[in-house]
Amino acid sequence: MMPKITMRAGALLTVLGTVVWTVSIAKPIAFAGGTTVMGEYGAGTMEEVQVFYAPSHHYSVGGGYLRLDSDVDESVKNIAYARGNYLVKRWNMSAAQANVFVWGGAGGASGNDFSGQAFTGNAGAQADYETRRIYASLKSDFYDSSEFTHRIDTLQLGVAPYAHEYDQLAVWLVVQGRTYTGNLYGGTEWAALLRIFKGSVWVEAGVTEDGNLQSMVMVNF
Amino acid sequence: MRPHISLSIPILLLFSVMSQAETVEMTVHGLVCGFCAQGIEKRLRKFPATADVLVSLEQRLVAVGLREGTTISDAQLTDALEGAGYAVKGIRHTDTSMATLREQVKAGRE
Repeated sequence: MMPKITMRAGALLTVLGTVVWTVSIAKPIAFAGGTTVMGEYGAGTMEEVQVFYAPSHHYSVGGGYLRLDSDVDESVKNIAYARGNYLVKRWNMSAAQANVFVWGGAGGASGNDFSGQAFTGNAGAQADYETRRIYASLKSDFYDSSEFTHRIDTLQLGVAPYAHEYDQLAVWLVVQGRTYTGNLYGGTEWAALLRIFKGSVWVEAGVTEDGNLQSMVMVNF
Repeated sequence: MRPHISLSIPILLLFSVMSQAETVEMTVHGLVCGFCAQGIEKRLRKFPATADVLVSLEQRLVAVGLREGTTISDAQLTDALEGAGYAVKGIRHTDTSMATLREQVKAGRE
């Protein structure tokens, strides 16, 4: 029964990912003149660090480093990249906001299952919708080189126990589903997360169904 | 002496009006996340005329307290908020103090 549910969830993520791909492509952009630093530990399968500067709220530029540790075989990839993010569309509603971001970049990768550096292209998209009590986002991140192709699709659904004010601590309970292509992980990796933020610091941590740590820290300045 | 006194009264009244600190209250759409709305405060505080900034997600309100005798045009304020990624739906110039606005926002929470 469990594999059936996992396959169904994976199919759903793939369909949603396809929808995003057809609609758009990027990564959160802070605000005009703002810099975002983000670090994520993805349950032992992925680790990522990113720094972006946004000259405008429409776009940001920067770079990142991504390490992928396969849960299926022993392969490891280290990808360093430069990237540009673009806000395709923002809907500012009276009590909600929705966004579509796209991004693209290029860099180099090394791995333990190939020699030397492989030129790596990166493209992705994110669609999100949030009110002060409900949050949903879908992100698809694609890496392609002559040595490997990986796509990481991440779905997050969040609920806030209370509507935070600007100067208050925000608390969110988030469920995350993530799929990897290219022999990185079998099925969908589900995680339960606690997200808190106040001021310019955002911290998110939780566990996956396998009991692994899933966490993220983000700072805007 | 009499002409001097009669002239000084309207001049003093004029200075009194000019020096009255003003508050600009803006109704803003898209205000749902405190983390994301920091850009608003950072941009508004860059204006030399800005004395204070208040953001309320609940009230969909962004207020700027101006320094005495200074002003920021509606166009500049709109540009600043739209540059931060938000939609300005209304601008009101009032003489409500920022302290009073903060009390009203706080009362709205309770």
